[in-house]
Amino acid sequence: MTSQSYRLLAPRKRARKRQGTWQLRLARWAGLALIYALLTLGALTMVFPFYWMVSTAFKSIQEALIFPPTLVPTEWLWSNFREAWEAAPFPRYFANTTFMASASTLGTLITTVLAAYAFARMRFFGKNVLFILFMATMMMPFEVILIPNFLIIKTLKWYNTFLALIVPWTASVFGIFLLRQFYLSLPKDLFDAAVIDGCSHFRFLWNVAVPLSVPALITVGIFSFLGSWNSLLWPLIVTSNPEMRPIQVGLTAFQSEAGSYYNRMMAAATLAVLPIVAMFLVAQKQFVEGIARTGLKG
Amino acid sequence: MPKLGDLLFKDTVGLTPGAKRRYWSETLAAYLYLLPAILIIVTFHFFPIFYAFFISLNKWSILQERFVGLQNYARLLWDPDLWNSLLVTIWYALGTVPFALAISLFIAILLFQNIQGRGIFRTVYFLPNITSVVAAAVVWGWVFNAQYGVINYFLELIGFQPLQWILEPTGVFKMFLENLGLNVPEWAGGPSLALVAVMIMTIWSAIGFNMIIYLAGLGNISKELYEAARIDGATEWQVFRKITFPLLSPTTFFLLVVSVIRSFRAFDGIYAMTTRNGPAGGPLNTTRTVTVYIYNTAFGAGNPKMGYAAAAAFILMAVVLILTIVQFRYVGEKVHYE
Amino acid sequence: MKKILAAVLLSGLVASLVAGCGPTPVPPTATPKPVGPTATPAPPTATPVPEPVTVVFWHTQTGVNAKALDAMVADFNATNTKKITIKAEFQGNYTQLYQKILAAIQAGSPPDMAVAYESQIADYMKARAVIELDDFVNKLPKESLADIFSGYMETNKFPQYGNKMLSFPFTKSLLSLYYNEDMLKEAGVRIPTADKPFTWDEFEKAVMALQKKDASGKVTQYGLTLGLDASTIDGWIYSRGGKLLKDDLSGVAFNAQPAYDAYALVDRLVKGTYAYQTKGYDYQADFGNKKVAMFFGSSTGRPFVKAALTDKDTKKEKFKWGITMIPQGDPAKAVTVMYGANITVFKTTPAKQAAAWEFIKWFTDTPQSVKWSITSSYMPIRKSAAENADLRKAWETDIQGKQAFDMIQYSRPEPNVRGWQDARTFLEDALQSVISGKAAPKDAVDTAAAKTNKAIEEAK
Repeated sequence: MTSQSYRLLAPRKRARKRQGTWQLRLARWAGLALIYALLTLGALTMVFPFYWMVSTAFKSIQEALIFPPTLVPTEWLWSNFREAWEAAPFPRYFANTTFMASASTLGTLITTVLAAYAFARMRFFGKNVLFILFMATMMMPFEVILIPNFLIIKTLKWYNTFLALIVPWTASVFGIFLLRQFYLSLPKDLFDAAVIDGCSHFRFLWNVAVPLSVPALITVGIFSFLGSWNSLLWPLIVTSNPEMRPIQVGLTAFQSEAGSYYNRMMAAATLAVLPIVAMFLVAQKQFVEGIARTGLKG
Repeated sequence: MPKLGDLLFKDTVGLTPGAKRRYWSETLAAYLYLLPAILIIVTFHFFPIFYAFFISLNKWSILQERFVGLQNYARLLWDPDLWNSLLVTIWYALGTVPFALAISLFIAILLFQNIQGRGIFRTVYFLPNITSVVAAAVVWGWVFNAQYGVINYFLELIGFQPLQWILEPTGVFKMFLENLGLNVPEWAGGPSLALVAVMIMTIWSAIGFNMIIYLAGLGNISKELYEAARIDGATEWQVFRKITFPLLSPTTFFLLVVSVIRSFRAFDGIYAMTTRNGPAGGPLNTTRTVTVYIYNTAFGAGNPKMGYAAAAAFILMAVVLILTIVQFRYVGEKVHYE
Repeated sequence: MKKILAAVLLSGLVASLVAGCGPTPVPPTATPKPVGPTATPAPPTATPVPEPVTVVFWHTQTGVNAKALDAMVADFNATNTKKITIKAEFQGNYTQLYQKILAAIQAGSPPDMAVAYESQIADYMKARAVIELDDFVNKLPKESLADIFSGYMETNKFPQYGNKMLSFPFTKSLLSLYYNEDMLKEAGVRIPTADKPFTWDEFEKAVMALQKKDASGKVTQYGLTLGLDASTIDGWIYSRGGKLLKDDLSGVAFNAQPAYDAYALVDRLVKGTYAYQTKGYDYQADFGNKKVAMFFGSSTGRPFVKAALTDKDTKKEKFKWGITMIPQGDPAKAVTVMYGANITVFKTTPAKQAAAWEFIKWFTDTPQSVKWSITSSYMPIRKSAAENADLRKAWETDIQGKQAFDMIQYSRPEPNVRGWQDARTFLEDALQSVISGKAAPKDAVDTAAAKTNKAIEEAK
């Protein structure tokens, strides 16, 4: 990161007085050009794997497996998508996944707001210890607690139910930590204005903290949603009913028979990624714009 | 490390009886707020962890065989596989966390400027993060394919030899220095090229997440501060150093802690990218992080050693916990809360 | 007074929490909705009287194979006279299925029947979760038993568990050598057959003769491509007259000349750029692209290979190819590796176990075995399959299917002792370190042997 690029962003006020307007314009123009160039370059890098996935998905196997590769398919084939689509009941999986992810997101938001607020703005016995204990759960590899968790699901008789797919994911230490940081960064005077007692804590939370942290909440919500959307091993373990399977299983089902058919593998990957990308594109206005406008005093 | 008692009771030290009472009533209220989260976390995190701890004290392949106390832990301390995988994990963390943080902060600041098409850029940068790691690993595996991969094509275009990428167990320092004619021993070879390929995918996928959090953090900084600084004639670099960076420190701190934890327990992407070529963590275990090692030991494809794997998981947890506490103590103190 | 105040405040908080938050954060754990297990409970007694029985069958088949399997299951459900209903459920790939079963065993609720590899079955048996099939198998007529290729039976008998039969062959295939016939002819190399395979010396010369370079010295055609696959390595060792395990199973026997020679050959071929490494199934693609003349692979891969070398416009195969016996130390005693998955029956109720066996018996009978092998490209497990008209017809277009079938009699299974799964990893690591030039062939093999011995010792 160079200081140069920052200077270029907005010419200094003092300099503005000394320089003529054409110099100012040139500097501003050059700064903007640099920003756009950097951002575009970065964006192309980010997008390229997606492009490569989709373009490979349209290729014939012969074209997918030539070197040097063709950057644009010479012939656009839909057949790979059709085969991937037929490999698994994607609409059913899609509906399951959407339900599962929405429910656990809703639950997560409720538990997270309450807990994060307590950690950020309340003084209570055992706070630090509890927080460290919470954080510690983030450090345990999921693979290790997989089987104990499965035993709990069995004990609760939740095997093969949506409860097993949803309830364990309705609290997120990561989300609590994220939101706690947001609540901590709320200006103290905002908070001090309220009288500190049990009741007004809740009023403050509901009337002030929650509205202010809507973008952060959306962030927590999106990550919770993504977590459920992309889960594979847990749903496979706690359900055996094919009717309850999530979308990632469709991807696996296809992958294991794809061999060296990279075109089909990419078609299946596209199908698994597409719905969430589409959803994100629809929601991104609220999500991204919302976050950018989180100015507390603005 | 602070004593538990200090941590628990430091809030009540020197309070008047009335304040103490308020403290306890607030405690009650706080636990009410925490109740839903605690219920879930205790049931689906704490309990399984305790259970896993119990497993770790046993010789336990699929079912419990016999209680062995701390024997698994003792054996692990002398297990070169564990230490080797810890080294891989450290390389992985070092190779991903700082880069992903720096790049995303840079992008976030650029995106925070008043420019056209911000929405598109943000969307594009965030897209990798919403993609499932498994799908992403499939795609990146294809991009890095030694025979037909597009990366090798680009390398050839600019006049380089194609590389083996995920099949290459040789350390990148070694590869680089030996190109310059230097002889490098294996141990100083650095992370393998295969691990670097995995790191690239990880950074690609992490940037969007960090960027969004940074954007939110930037939005929290008061505009007036910037205006005041500009009126005072501060350069953009000064603005960044004196205002943006310090005021972003809670965000950076959050991202640092979370990224380190995530890199230490990263699994899905590494697994999906390396498993189609012999055992996960290959070639020659150079991408076998501790979590992959734990996974291979606990399930792999056969001969499970769950007791041993659970013990390794607690060692990993201890390492990460210490790292996190160190971060809270030494980095957390420098964090500027408004 | 203050206490009362606190109580009031507290109840106010609770009220506001409940009233103010919209969706109430009621602990979801409080209302577990009991949902029964997937299978309907079976009668506890083992009576041959046809009571309806449902058997849950976990498998890994996808795509065309899954459809074929479902159709066959439906056929069985409709035609069996014992009111047995098989519920075939896809549970992910082999690794995922294995993990799911491990979890299920811990919870004491395994499926009734599942697909598994031998090493996994040995693991299940360590937890006493699967049943011995010997009583069922022994009731089969003598001629029916003799009809099954002996190797397929052998692989399901577990020496660590009293040589009991813990599973039955399901999806079987063979390690084979795939070759591009046109390239071999062009290079003046003899075409190997099941009866007259390459010797290893002959093979080495062939691989070298098949390499082509362009003017700049860049290799444009390789003789051989190598993936990391322990079964292939096992095949190399077998075919050189080597043994993998000591007869008493107390440790490995592969740290001997056959394996040293096999790894040394790889070393020579890779160093001379006659052979190179590929990932996953990329060898199929390279073979189809005429980048390489030969590779070792499963006979099941042949539809993929066929597709990879079929021209997309003319729909014709780009070159003549075949699959045959892997090279041998002594062609008179030719041997290759058989592999693939089996069906194992879990300890449930006698009625379910008997019902599961009914299905296995039906599925592996000649007509079904033929049907399954035609749709799935797995090998039929019975000799009599060769006389079946449908299979003969299928072989007219699937020439390589017949070529593979001819090898079954020479095939031998891999060890099925606990700990062998680790050996696979070590053998693959050893191959990788030889290919990458990190270890000398003999050292690599010895390291793998030492590690495997330790693993076998620990797994006891």
